[in-house]
Amino acid sequence: MTDTTMPAPRLSLTQRLKRPRALIVLSLLMVIPLIAYVMFGEPLARAGIREIVLIPAIPATLILYALAMASWRESWVAILGGTLVFFWVFVAVSVPFLPLLDPNKPIRPFAPPGTEVGDITFWLGTDLKGRDMLSRMLWGCQRVLVWGVTATAVAYVVGCIFGLIAGYISGIWDEIISFISNVLLSFPVMVLFILILNYLGPSGFNIVIAVTFASAPAIMRIVRGLALDNKTRDYVFAAQTRGEHPFRIMVVELLPNVRGPIIVDACLRLGYTTVAITTLTFLGLGLQPPDADWGLMIKEASNLMVWQFSYMLLIPALAVSSLILGFNLMADGLREMSLRD
Amino acid sequence: MLKLIARRLLQMVIIMAVVSLILFLVFDSDKFKKQIATAELGGFSVAAMSDHDYQKWLKDKGLDVPVYERYAQWIGGLLQGDFGKSFEKDAPVSKVMGERLLNTGILAFWVFFLMIPLSLIFGIVAGMKEGSFQDRSVSFIAVFTTSIPEIATAILLTVIIALGLGWLPSKSAMTGGWNSLELVLPVLTLVLYDFGYVARMTRASMAEVMTSQYIRTAVLKGIPYARVIMRHALRNALIAPFTVIVLQLNWLLSGVVVVEVFFQYNGFGKMLLEAALFGDIYVVQAATLVAVFVAVLSQIISDVGYTFLNPRIRFS
Amino acid sequence: MSFLKPRKDDHPKVHEAYEVMKDGRMDRREFVRVAALVGVSAGAAYAMAGIPSPAWALENSPFPADDPKAKKGGKLRVGMQIQKMEDTATYSWAEMSNQTRHIVEHLSMTGPDNITRPMLAESWTVSDDLKTWTFKLRKGVMWHNGEEFVADHVVWNIRRWLQPGLGSSNVGLAAFAAMRKDSGKKDSKGKAIMVEIPGAVEAVDKHTVRFNLKKPVLSVPEDCYNYPTALMHPSFKKPFSSNPIGTGPFTLTDLQVGKQAILKRVTKMSNGKPFTYWGGEVYLDEIHYYNFSNENQLSALASGSVDAIYEFTIEQMALAKSLPINIIPARTARTLCCRMQISKKPFDNHKLRQAIVKSVDNAKVKNLVYPTGGDVGQNHHVAPVHPDYFDLPALKRDVAAAKKLLAEAGYPNGIEVTIDVGNTDGPWHQTVCEALRDQMKEAGINLKINVMPASKYWEIWDTTPFGATAWTHRPLGTMVMGLGYRTGVPWNETHMASKEFDAALDAAEATFDVEKRKPLLGKAEKILQDAAVMVLPIFRPVYTGSSKKVHGFPPHPTGYHQFNKVWMG
Repeated sequence: MTDTTMPAPRLSLTQRLKRPRALIVLSLLMVIPLIAYVMFGEPLARAGIREIVLIPAIPATLILYALAMASWRESWVAILGGTLVFFWVFVAVSVPFLPLLDPNKPIRPFAPPGTEVGDITFWLGTDLKGRDMLSRMLWGCQRVLVWGVTATAVAYVVGCIFGLIAGYISGIWDEIISFISNVLLSFPVMVLFILILNYLGPSGFNIVIAVTFASAPAIMRIVRGLALDNKTRDYVFAAQTRGEHPFRIMVVELLPNVRGPIIVDACLRLGYTTVAITTLTFLGLGLQPPDADWGLMIKEASNLMVWQFSYMLLIPALAVSSLILGFNLMADGLREMSLRD
Repeated sequence: MLKLIARRLLQMVIIMAVVSLILFLVFDSDKFKKQIATAELGGFSVAAMSDHDYQKWLKDKGLDVPVYERYAQWIGGLLQGDFGKSFEKDAPVSKVMGERLLNTGILAFWVFFLMIPLSLIFGIVAGMKEGSFQDRSVSFIAVFTTSIPEIATAILLTVIIALGLGWLPSKSAMTGGWNSLELVLPVLTLVLYDFGYVARMTRASMAEVMTSQYIRTAVLKGIPYARVIMRHALRNALIAPFTVIVLQLNWLLSGVVVVEVFFQYNGFGKMLLEAALFGDIYVVQAATLVAVFVAVLSQIISDVGYTFLNPRIRFS
Repeated sequence: MSFLKPRKDDHPKVHEAYEVMKDGRMDRREFVRVAALVGVSAGAAYAMAGIPSPAWALENSPFPADDPKAKKGGKLRVGMQIQKMEDTATYSWAEMSNQTRHIVEHLSMTGPDNITRPMLAESWTVSDDLKTWTFKLRKGVMWHNGEEFVADHVVWNIRRWLQPGLGSSNVGLAAFAAMRKDSGKKDSKGKAIMVEIPGAVEAVDKHTVRFNLKKPVLSVPEDCYNYPTALMHPSFKKPFSSNPIGTGPFTLTDLQVGKQAILKRVTKMSNGKPFTYWGGEVYLDEIHYYNFSNENQLSALASGSVDAIYEFTIEQMALAKSLPINIIPARTARTLCCRMQISKKPFDNHKLRQAIVKSVDNAKVKNLVYPTGGDVGQNHHVAPVHPDYFDLPALKRDVAAAKKLLAEAGYPNGIEVTIDVGNTDGPWHQTVCEALRDQMKEAGINLKINVMPASKYWEIWDTTPFGATAWTHRPLGTMVMGLGYRTGVPWNETHMASKEFDAALDAAEATFDVEKRKPLLGKAEKILQDAAVMVLPIFRPVYTGSSKKVHGFPPHPTGYHQFNKVWMG
């Protein structure tokens, strides 16, 4: 994606930040190592570079956070949301380097928060298998962030492609794509998730597929609408008269101009996807043990319903809520800012 | 208008036919038949079954019939109100599902009963004066409650109210017969999660109306403020929330799954999950169709209602 | 110690067993069990063994003694998965049998002391060659429909189980397997179709049934209490739940699968006359089963939704201990078998399997997962609770030897293997695998744990190259060995095919004297252990719980419910 080719009809959000290309590089630097770390941990570990992969992500996250804070000064909602989100992202990229206990090592079951065993203190206690809750909570954000971001990104790519085709090419393609998306949109989301994941089997990759099925139609509609709206603009006509290929027009001319609303929608959708992953994992259809994950922590503790062990439920519940709150506040702030433009 | 409704209904029927056919084809695979056998008989029994026994089992379950024939039979039954039989529950699907739908219906009734007035009042109060203290606090509460996922809300409520204070039971399985107390936590969970969204929609709509020309004129004319709100503003401000509220029916069908599973409430959502995991084909079929039906119907009602209520659209 | 001597007319096996016991070659409890099996009353058997007869060993009743403090009436609410009740003969889960056990009954009943006593039979006798078994039925036992329970009804039931195509697992039991022969016909997969031997089961008179078996079987009474062997009225039609006629104290009034099963006392027969239960006092008026998935049962008990539960797992022990409930443990031979399939790569490599086994310290794994209770497994599937258990020298972990074996197997730089685990009995399966992973790592074996939902695991349990399969309790060591490791049997998940092993097992099965059987079974154990087909570190206890209001809730190694003497305080 290039961002410098054409004049924008309106100052869009990303352009308010001064150097978009640098920002994209930074974001990728932040996200890709994390994705590699979680999804391809095994081969990386064999090559002996599993931890090293994450090192570039740490400064990238911090710089990105500083830049975001600097440009969002006018919206405290965005600042608060961004801080929450970046906190968890920072935890995700730096957690292997933090002085934590092994999140999968059973030490002492059912130790309440603050228990001291020898020279170890379990600040948040241990779970039913005796694993350190603090460590599991911090490690747990990795999986949810990685799968959430991946699933949302894939849903976006698919939704944008079909949306642009439907909106720009129209005709029979529009009919077909719209019908399929109507079918998918007529399912309550959770019903669709259950059907798809039950068919494919529970795993992170299958969550990506399920989220794509559930989210792409809605994204498709937004992009289609924006594409229909933008199609009649001068800059598209100009490109058409230059004799450019429709695909090039779609990607190079149209897409960058519809990104403002898409970014806000993406933030909200990241929140939904996080909820979906946690919920599906709780229902046993999502991520599988043994690695730490908030949904799994809830699932494992949900059959220990007494006051004395309620910390095992509260900790992951609060963690996941804070991340989603972050996404939602960020989306709110960004929307507010983009409306002011 | 009628033409519009008819077209949407026809579209719904087509969608349901497509969905049910896809489900039939998916569930017809040998893998799924094996899954049902395993769920029903256990892995050890299935491994010990001879091919002869397995074929007989398939025949007993009516799964040896070719898929197109089964689909035709099923459609035929459907037209007579027969949804088939549940493998797991060993009872007609209509009976199993009717009961579960009723339970979810009761849950949904109370959710709407509490959520509608709550969210409308909050939304109106917030939207009356944009940017005021009440507006900001309502907006903040709304973002906050919608940001806590149902599973977390359920946990927080259970831990505090049921486990900590001991005021309410922590499970809603209704083992001792119907117990309204057991309904409180699931209803509260759903209301807390949902009301913020509707309140924000109401607020946005109200705020828009309040800035409109005719309200300003009314205020300038000296009509009492309360009367302006009640008589003029509300009527128009409630059009958008109406459509949103109807659409919440669709959302509720998603939301109830996790809440019912968490609280062990025997409703539609829990049934759907159980049936999917078991491979209980006809229950999954029926439940999916009901879900799609409700979802599409709520979309139609919301669209039609919006057109009907909004004079600008109706007369244009 | 005073021993009552067997009478002259007691079965020769009793005399034989008595001598063996006197020589100290047979456990006294085992003697009681054997004596009871061949028809000596439990009370007499206890007296011969010289141990006090427990409270439930009343003459002429399989049930525990009446409790003088017991209060009559009330209902017991039990949390369990509610399943359908279609045909008792084809039941495949203990839960559905629990819903049924209060309605229909068996010829015999095995008590919590592992002694099998006559139930609907009054007594039995067996020929010296253990081939002809004669059951005298109790007189005056009434069906709920007003008919008397007679010999023809027993014959009808057994002949039904023997039909080809019914698919009852009863035909796998030694007693009923010895009533069938090869028909000479084959099914589509080339398997022989088995049919009933004419006259294998006959009604001698109105209250006498005779089994004529083709080979000697000792366990006939025990087989008659296996859960699919409940005796139904000949008017039975599927599903059982819609016409639940039985001889038991309760009947089914409402069944909603996945929700509830309501059982109520039978007071009137369908002909209007009052119903008198043959088994004496029954305290409860109603038994209500409510559906709770296994992981939610203890929470349901904690919240007061139910009074007792089917089972809770070891992970919930801390919760259970924090609650004001009775924790009821039972020592069992239930286990988790982390087995390798020797027909699949890389587990066809014997040295690799040995390296895997050598790198694990079974006792350490057991103590991590079950700090108290349970027994350490020695990788051969026979448990210390089995009467025929032969104690082989304990296995020793040896990392250096494991490394050496691994190199010899062709993996000098280590190997990565994946184990499938479905947590079918609870999350502790995964804890076991994690412990294995940590221990194997030191030997250069990188164990990956592939966790999957229980239902998915049951689809692949007999095909996966490396998987952790849960096995239930069975009363005898020879039984598990025969079911799981004999060449070509359906549940042989390791694909073990050893003539030597089969011969050793045959020899053990053919030996009546337990003390003589032990070393023979020991030989089979050793062959299995040396084959290194599995890591089997734990024989676990099962835990159930009841609220303090519930009295007399019986522990049972396979979780069978029999609530005749349970009462609510």
